[in-house]
Formats: sequence, C-alpha cells, structure tokens
Amino acid sequence: MTLAIQTQGLGYRAGKQFAIRDLDLHVPAGAIYGFLGPNGSGKTTTIRLLLGLLRPQGGAITLLGEPVPGRLPAILARTGYVPERPHLYPSLTVQEAIAYHRAFYPRWDQRRADDLLAGFLLEPGRQTSRLSKGELGKLMLLLVLAQSPDLLLLDEPTDGLDPVVRREVLTALLDYVSQRGATVFISSHLVHELERICDWVGVMDQGRLVTELPMETFKNGIKRLHVSGVPAEVGATPFALVARQVHDGRHETWIVRGWQGPMRQYIEGLGGTVREVVDLDLEEGFVELLRTARGPVAGRS
Amino acid sequence: MFEQIDPRSATPLYAQIATRLKVAIAAGDLVPGAGLPSVRQLAAQLRINPATVVQAYRELETEGFVEMRHGAGTFVREVEGARRARTRAGAATRLVRALLAEAARAGLTVEELRRALVDELPGSGA
Repeated sequence: MTLAIQTQGLGYRAGKQFAIRDLDLHVPAGAIYGFLGPNGSGKTTTIRLLLGLLRPQGGAITLLGEPVPGRLPAILARTGYVPERPHLYPSLTVQEAIAYHRAFYPRWDQRRADDLLAGFLLEPGRQTSRLSKGELGKLMLLLVLAQSPDLLLLDEPTDGLDPVVRREVLTALLDYVSQRGATVFISSHLVHELERICDWVGVMDQGRLVTELPMETFKNGIKRLHVSGVPAEVGATPFALVARQVHDGRHETWIVRGWQGPMRQYIEGLGGTVREVVDLDLEEGFVELLRTARGPVAGRS
Repeated sequence: MFEQIDPRSATPLYAQIATRLKVAIAAGDLVPGAGLPSVRQLAAQLRINPATVVQAYRELETEGFVEMRHGAGTFVREVEGARRARTRAGAATRLVRALLAEAARAGLTVEELRRALVDELPGSGA
C-alpha cells in the first residue's frame, strides 16, 4: 500500500499542558481520510506539523513519498492546504487573490479556477474582506483545487458554513477527486459528513492517535449489546469489552469491539442471553471510543 | 432510486448502492443496455467518495449485472429470469427481516404483526 502521508513516532510539545506523543499516521494514497477528535485533541497541530509549519521534537514525516522538511518545496507544490482560519490579504479582490496564488503553483489550472469561480457564483471584483463566510469557504477551496494538488489537507473546511454552501464545497471536492484521484486528509466535527465521504478514519484524543482503521472496519466492529443473565465476573472475552452498564440487576448494556455473530455462543456459555445487537454509526462509535480511551476499561458501570 | 441511502447504517454504502441497482435491474426499471450514471456524476449526486461508487459497480460487474466498458461507462447486462426472481425475493426477505427486528424492539407479537399486515394489504376489505 502506497502511503500519501506517513509519520513515525512524531512528537511535539507546546507548553506544559499539551503534547503530541508518538504519532504514527498512515494515510493510503487515494484515500479520503477523516481525521476526528474533540477540540484540543491535536488535529490542527498535527496538520501544521505535516506541512512543516511547526517543528517537531521527534519522529519522521513523509508526504507523497518525500521527507518533511527536507523536500518541502517539492511537496508543497503538490499539496493543497485549507487552514482552519482562511488567510487572505483583505485588500485583494477575488480575482487578485486568484492571480496571487497562481504565481506560486507550477501546476495551476486556470480553467478549473474559472469554472469554479462561475460555479460558486463568486464576484471577481469583490474584496476578500467583504466576502461572507460561505463565499470565503468557497474561495479557499477554489484556490487549492486550482493548484491541481495530489494531496489535500483540509482543516475543518466546512466548519460554520450553512448546509447549502457545505454541499457545494463537498461536491466540488468530490468532483475533483473523481477526476484526479487525489488523497484527501480532512478534519471535521461534522461526523455525519465524514461518514458519507471517508473510507479511512483516524481518531485523535489528548495528543494521541487512538485508532486508525478503514471506515467499514471501524463501523462494523463496534456494537452495543443488550444482554441479560450474565455473571458479574466474565473473565477474558473473545471481543473487547469496552463498557458495561448494569440497569436493573439482570439487564445490561455492553459496548464491544471486534464483535462477530458467532460470539453470541460465548455469552450463552456464560448462562446469559443476547437480546439485541445494535449497530452504531460513526458518531456513536466515536463517542464510545473516546469514553474508553480515557476512562477505566470495562467491569463497572 | 438512491433516496434511502443511509451513510449511518452498518451496511456499507457501496453495498447499499449495489443492492438498489440490482433490485432495479431485476424489476426491469433498468433495461439491458441502459447506462448507469458515471462514477463522477453519482459521487457528486450522492456526495460520497467516488471510490465507493467504483466499488459498487465492481460488485455488480462481478455478479454479472453490469458490464464496465473502459472509457465508455457502465451498462446493464441481460439477466436471466430466474436470477431476477431470486434478486427480487432477496429484497423482499430483507424488508421482512428489518420489519421483524423493528417489531421485536417494539415488543410486538407475531400475531399483532400478522393482523396489521392483513389489514394493510390491498383487497383486505378494510
């Protein structure tokens, strides 16, 4: 598997409170990789480290097969970045901002820029400081897609945008990916949005990568079980018992990972009954995962 | 055809899309020779990963429902009657299973379900 992004043992410390520890990321080429995590978990810091905007205290970074920071100019020529907060010179018009960016990118596609300008209904003569939040979001995406990048790093690209603009932005992004087969690394709070488009998920918490899996594996392995009649001590389980909540003596809710149908027999072997196996969507799976990544594991409610 | 696609379901999106298309082919809504939307079109329309559309089309191709012609697109193949009937029966089974699971969750008995079904069926005189 070719990787578009790889980090090994990446470490970064900012002050006493916050650190990125031993980060090993593997983003397959051609993937749309959803980078999830609560506020302050280190998503933006990680993206800035990848781009050489922050200097790591340890570890190695490879983007598009080349080392960061050694080969950064070549890498950045092929990489589009939408930062959390757009940075555009406020006095420039839309058209001037486009011309300014064009000068930096050898593979600039003016036709794509023109098409998106028209498609997004952006006024070329308007000053960027006078754009609405939605228009700004669209302009930022236009600027990175016109670079013809092989890799896109998008930090909350649809954060705070209304649903109509979000759709426009995502459609333009997916259209680009269909044509070019680029790799997309996207952080977002909008879990349902990522659930639609991503084929890989990485979850950050407190500066650590808690999990990294293909979307399907992530979603299939994690279940909520309604069980009854199981003993208080269950010992080793064939699945990972993530959380256990006792309701009224007999009835319990279990959150499990690595679940497979035949594992019912294990619970029946304990004298219990599996009343229901509930699939969790990405958001529920994400929330349960964080609960376990932080809290004491299993056993008690 | 794709209104009910649910990204939150545990059934992967590609499988949901492939199933919808198989049922449409089996029902004759998509006739042999008909072209499916391009990967780019369908990905944009459903706002999903283009790779997911490709995966769905590949599955349909492996199972003989469509033919992918390089550079030209994806086209519906002739599917024999028995196979179409099986596909339709499979769709019916899935519906019933979903109904039964939902009923079990709501604590409804089989008899209650049976009565409701008879009442709702056309021609029941209700």
